[in-house]
Amino acid sequence: MGPPMARLPDPRFATDCTVHLDGRAVPARTGESVASALLAAGERVLSRSAKYHRPRGPFCLSGSCGSCLVRIDGEPNRRACRTPCRDGMRVETQNGWPDAVHDLLGVIDRLTPGGLDVHHMLTRPRLANEALVAFTRRLAGSGRMPDRASPRGPAASHETFDALVLGAGPAGLSAAEVLAGAGVRLLLVERDRIPGGRLRAGLEPDAAPDGWPAEVARAVLSSGGEVALATSATSLWHDGGAPVCLLVGEEPRRTRVVRAPRILVCTGGHARPPTFEGNDLPGIHSGRALALALAEHGVLPGRRVAVLGTGPEPEALLARFAAAGLQATAVTTPVARARGRGAVRSLDLADGGRVPCDVVAQGAPPTPAPDLLRALGVGVDWDPALEAFTPRVLRDGATGIAGLYAAGEVARPGTAAEAVSWGRRAGEAARG
Amino acid sequence: MGKTILCACEDVTLSEVRRAFARGHRDLESVKRYTGFGTGPCQGKSCLAAVVQELLRLGATPAEINPFTPRPPAQPVDFGTLAGIDPDTLPLDEGVPVPPTPRPPVPASSGPVPERASVVIVGGGILGLSLAHQLALRGVTDVLVLERSYLNAGASGRNGGGVRAQWSTPTMVRLGLRSLQLFRSFAGETGVNVWFRRGGYLFLAPDGAQVERLERNHAVQRQQGMRTRIVSPDEACTIVPELDRSRFVAASWNPDDGVVFPWPFLWGYAAAAQARGVTVRTFTPVSGIEVSGGLVRSVLTPHGRVRCDTLVNACGAWSPEVARLAGVALPNRPTRHEILVSGPLKPWLGPLVSNLGNGLYFSQSQRGEIVGGMGDPTEPAGISHGSTLRFLSRFSRAITELVPGTAGVPVMRQWAGNYDVTPDNNPILGPAGPANFFQLSGFVGHGFMMAPAVTEIVADALTGRARDEILDRFSLDRFERGPAVREDFIIG
Ligand SMILES: Cc1cc2nc3c(=O)[nH]c(=O)nc-3n(C[C@H](O)[C@H](O)[C@H](O)COP(=O)(O)OP(=O)(O)OC[C@H]3O[C@@H](n4cnc5c(N)ncnc54)[C@H](O)[C@@H]3O)c2cc1C
Repeated sequence: MGPPMARLPDPRFATDCTVHLDGRAVPARTGESVASALLAAGERVLSRSAKYHRPRGPFCLSGSCGSCLVRIDGEPNRRACRTPCRDGMRVETQNGWPDAVHDLLGVIDRLTPGGLDVHHMLTRPRLANEALVAFTRRLAGSGRMPDRASPRGPAASHETFDALVLGAGPAGLSAAEVLAGAGVRLLLVERDRIPGGRLRAGLEPDAAPDGWPAEVARAVLSSGGEVALATSATSLWHDGGAPVCLLVGEEPRRTRVVRAPRILVCTGGHARPPTFEGNDLPGIHSGRALALALAEHGVLPGRRVAVLGTGPEPEALLARFAAAGLQATAVTTPVARARGRGAVRSLDLADGGRVPCDVVAQGAPPTPAPDLLRALGVGVDWDPALEAFTPRVLRDGATGIAGLYAAGEVARPGTAAEAVSWGRRAGEAARG
Repeated sequence: MGKTILCACEDVTLSEVRRAFARGHRDLESVKRYTGFGTGPCQGKSCLAAVVQELLRLGATPAEINPFTPRPPAQPVDFGTLAGIDPDTLPLDEGVPVPPTPRPPVPASSGPVPERASVVIVGGGILGLSLAHQLALRGVTDVLVLERSYLNAGASGRNGGGVRAQWSTPTMVRLGLRSLQLFRSFAGETGVNVWFRRGGYLFLAPDGAQVERLERNHAVQRQQGMRTRIVSPDEACTIVPELDRSRFVAASWNPDDGVVFPWPFLWGYAAAAQARGVTVRTFTPVSGIEVSGGLVRSVLTPHGRVRCDTLVNACGAWSPEVARLAGVALPNRPTRHEILVSGPLKPWLGPLVSNLGNGLYFSQSQRGEIVGGMGDPTEPAGISHGSTLRFLSRFSRAITELVPGTAGVPVMRQWAGNYDVTPDNNPILGPAGPANFFQLSGFVGHGFMMAPAVTEIVADALTGRARDEILDRFSLDRFERGPAVREDFIIG
């Protein structure tokens, strides 16, 4: 097991409830994500992987990856990073036998150093093939079916706004500010319970003043609009010949089918996993997400943090972790492999060096997240410098699709301050 | 050497991506299907860039790294939540994704085309490729398969993988039984796994009229030696305990039907045929057909003209388009059919379940996903591959009603394909127009399960070995001979 994680000894971060992981009590803070509470408790392994039964734990902590799926209160495949803690919540690890930490099937990984060729293995004789099909079926899948019927969701409401702004990070907030200032009745949607997005991680304190998100929220309300927090924009469709967005609110549970003549997509990028041997070990996380968990819930991600990457963000991460009393090491040269069993213990560098660590913070910029934009016809291009696909979004946020705008890291990685000004330009373009 | 994991959801390693590329799966859509990367709960959000970087290092071209089609929902949503949406508030339309303008470039053809081939098969779906394989088994190897896109681009790569012999006529039962046999031996024969799992098919009848229909079919099936039984709701619930027994009055159960994983069939057939000398070219569309003296003489491709003795049209929903190139009118009406999968679950569902009352069907894939679809009576004819929210709500209402436990299960991905519908729901086989222009289309929503048996028969006919009655029964001129017998046991 990894070293015990903990929280900063600050009364602001006191725990006030208990969730249960495979029957073990885990102290938590109401409203923080299950993943955050488990990290603070040193619980890193939440499931075993699909084929090789490798240990899996949260990586992105922000709903981009699929590495933190757990069973919560009897429902399978819930993302620990997107589910807020409630007292008494039952969390179960998935796909481990008997559980994800002690999984005996982990032997599959050790027996297959070169991987498996699932398409060509054991195709004959027939009996062996039939046994293979039966055996792999039993191993397949992660979550168990719910034990009982959960209630159907509430009847969906159908709503129309003058503008729909998805994401209340720096880009979405500044777009919303411009639109609200122009009297546009808009719906500002944020999947977290607190607006601010990356600003909340506190890595770029100069990007916007402290009370700004709340100020924007007030402006939206006073222009007749609405701010929907803890509400996920699940996708954009085109039913009835016009864009339509399905919003799912967590608390209270609410399903909203929303149309708007102007849609601004400011949902941020996807955390990018590193690509070296052992890159999927638990304990390797998005640095920005770790900084956020530290800032809001005092979560200390480990004792020795290796921060990957160069540039302002990895530097800010190093400073932040050091200030919290952790031993933080910059890793600025290529990594050959991560070592550890069940959790990362050290990094081997390509130049022969070695960095002992119990947590790794990925400091490389996120990749753009063109999924929602592509749904409505925005093209993408491979950017060799960014090593990512970027959607075709102009400096003023226009996409070439009437009524559809985007700004911020959903389109291109950059600083929070850049996202603020891109969002403003997009708001101005949408305001007309 | 430890593993570098490029796709953490499906556990796809760096070396698996390299192996796929080395085997000729070069474009992203093909690499996705061959390795499974991007098909898990994160839907490619965290792995796409890493896979592309690797493919570029291996020598992929810019057109080969076009990102695969984005599939809604971008964030998982529970069936129970979607069931709260009234589908009548969502008129059907083309759906998403809306194709970008300009369209992204298409990868280059997978190789040069020969100047002539004895048999040219247009369409590299399951029908075209299994025919190529059957011809090769009969020693006819001067065969060229021309596929416009990647393998699995058409309905064969988009279907639910249900394979059954529960049909309503002796002919269809016979073909279904033969196909089931061939599905079972496929892995052994070609060396490629297709995960054929005999979990049975359970047809649910919600009312007396549907029960009568099941009983009629049951009699036909027993006569053909099948083990089909009509079972009570209680017995059906011993097979699938999660069913709400108040939703149906009887069911028809055949334990010998099953499900397969469709994608590997196409690589398996292609590889087996190529090993015997057949040529398969992907990203090579047929853009013209030259006819003279009542015969097809050659087909045109962007890479040149290919002369041929026989031309087979196996273009599924696109068959009418291709037939028109030779001046032949086919009555097929392509119709979109939407489908979805949930996230991967531990095994809970043995059979494919189909509700005859509303067209809902679902099964559990080898990887554990609930795979299911449901036809939409308001769907107009015409090729369309878009996904709609309307479908998600219709499907979710139907499945949560029948299996209340699914309310708390998240939907992972939706997509669509096209049924290749004919006036009597039966295929069109045999020459039409030019005497050497052979049609192999019109398989509605069951062409996957028919392909192995039908192409065996067609290969026998093309090589002059035997002539099965289906070639008369399903010839194009049946529509002129009088009212055709309609196949009514279509699902979805
Ligand atoms: C959602 C869905 C679910 C289904 N479920 C089932 C099921 O459970 N069981 C079952 O048995 N069947 C099912 N079906 C039906 C089954 O998938 C089809 O009947 C079958 O795949 C048809 O195969 P095909 O080879 O005729 O067509 P396709 O697979 O569509 O192949 C035709 C090929 O022709 C190519 N093509 C088109 N034009 C040209 C051109 N000009 N030049 C070159 N190539 C061209 C296309 O790119 C395509 O690859 C389902 C279908 C759908 C859409």
